[in-house]
Amino acid sequence: MANTVIGSSLIIDGEISGDEDLVIQGTVKGKISLKESLFVESSGVVEADIDTQNVEIAGRVTGNIAASDKVELKSDCRVVGDIKAPRILIADGASFKGNVDMDVKG
Amino acid sequence: MASPKELSGIAGNTVIGPSILINGKLTGDEDLTVRGRVEGELALTRTLIVEPSGVVKANVSVKNAVVSGVVVGNIAATESVELTRDGRMVGDIRSPRVIIVDGASFRGRVDMGELAPGRPLPERPRTMARPAVRAPLAPARPPALPPRPPVRAPVPAVAGRPPMGAKAPPAPPLPPTVAVGAKKKIVVKKKK
Repeated sequence: MANTVIGSSLIIDGEISGDEDLVIQGTVKGKISLKESLFVESSGVVEADIDTQNVEIAGRVTGNIAASDKVELKSDCRVVGDIKAPRILIADGASFKGNVDMDVKG
Repeated sequence: MASPKELSGIAGNTVIGPSILINGKLTGDEDLTVRGRVEGELALTRTLIVEPSGVVKANVSVKNAVVSGVVVGNIAATESVELTRDGRMVGDIRSPRVIIVDGASFRGRVDMGELAPGRPLPERPRTMARPAVRAPLAPARPPALPPRPPVRAPVPAVAGRPPMGAKAPPAPPLPPTVAVGAKKKIVVKKKK
C-alpha cells in the first residue's frame, strides 16, 4: 500500500487519522492517531499527541506518545513528552525529556 | 540535518494515502496528491491533485487543481482548475482557467475573473477550431438552450488541450450526433 507522506514544506494543523503508515517530513500540529507506523524524519516537526502502533522518530516531537507496540528514538531526535509503550528504544545521541512507561507489572 | 534533497528545494511530493483522514488546516509549498480524505482548509502554492479515491471537503486555495475525485467546497486557483472525467465537485470555482471535461459532474459557480468585452482572452494556449467549440452545444442538452450566439459556451474545447503537468485523459470524442442544427449554425456564421 502506498504510504502517506507529509512533505517537508507542508504544515498541517489539525487531526490526522488512518490505517496506514505515515511519514512526516513537514510539520504537524494537533493529533495523530494511526493503526500502523509513524515515521518522523529528520526534517519532521510534530507538536501533537500521538497514538499509534509503532513510532520511529528522527526529527522533533513535542507531545505525548502512546504506542501499542514500540517507540524508537533515533539519534539526533529531540522529543519532549511522555512515552507509553511496551517497547521503548532510545538510541545514543537522542535527546528526550519526559516520562517513560513500559507498563511494567509490580 | 536536512538531506541534500530537501535542501535543494525539491520537496518530496506529499501523498495522503487512501485510509488517511486529515481534519484541520493544511498549508504548503509543494504538490499534494490526495487519495484519502482532507477536511477543513487547504492552501498550497503548487498543485493539488485529488485522485479518484480522494475526498476533499475543504475550502481550497492553490495554484492548480486537478480533480479526479470528490471535492465539496470552494476552489480558488491562481492558474487553473481542471475537473477530469471522474471528477465530482460541489462548490464554487474561481480561476482564470477552468477546464471541465466530458464526464465530470459539477454544481456551483464558475468565475474566470474579468472578461472585458473586446479584449482577447489571456494566454489561451491554442485556439481550437471554432466548430469544435460550438458543436457540442446542440446535442448536449437540446431542449434547454435555444440556439443563440455561443458567447457563453461552456468551454468544452479543453478536451484536446494538454493540461499543465497532468496527463490528459483521452479526449472524449465529440458526440457523433452533431445535429443538423449545429451544422446550419456554422453555415450561417460563415456567410457574414
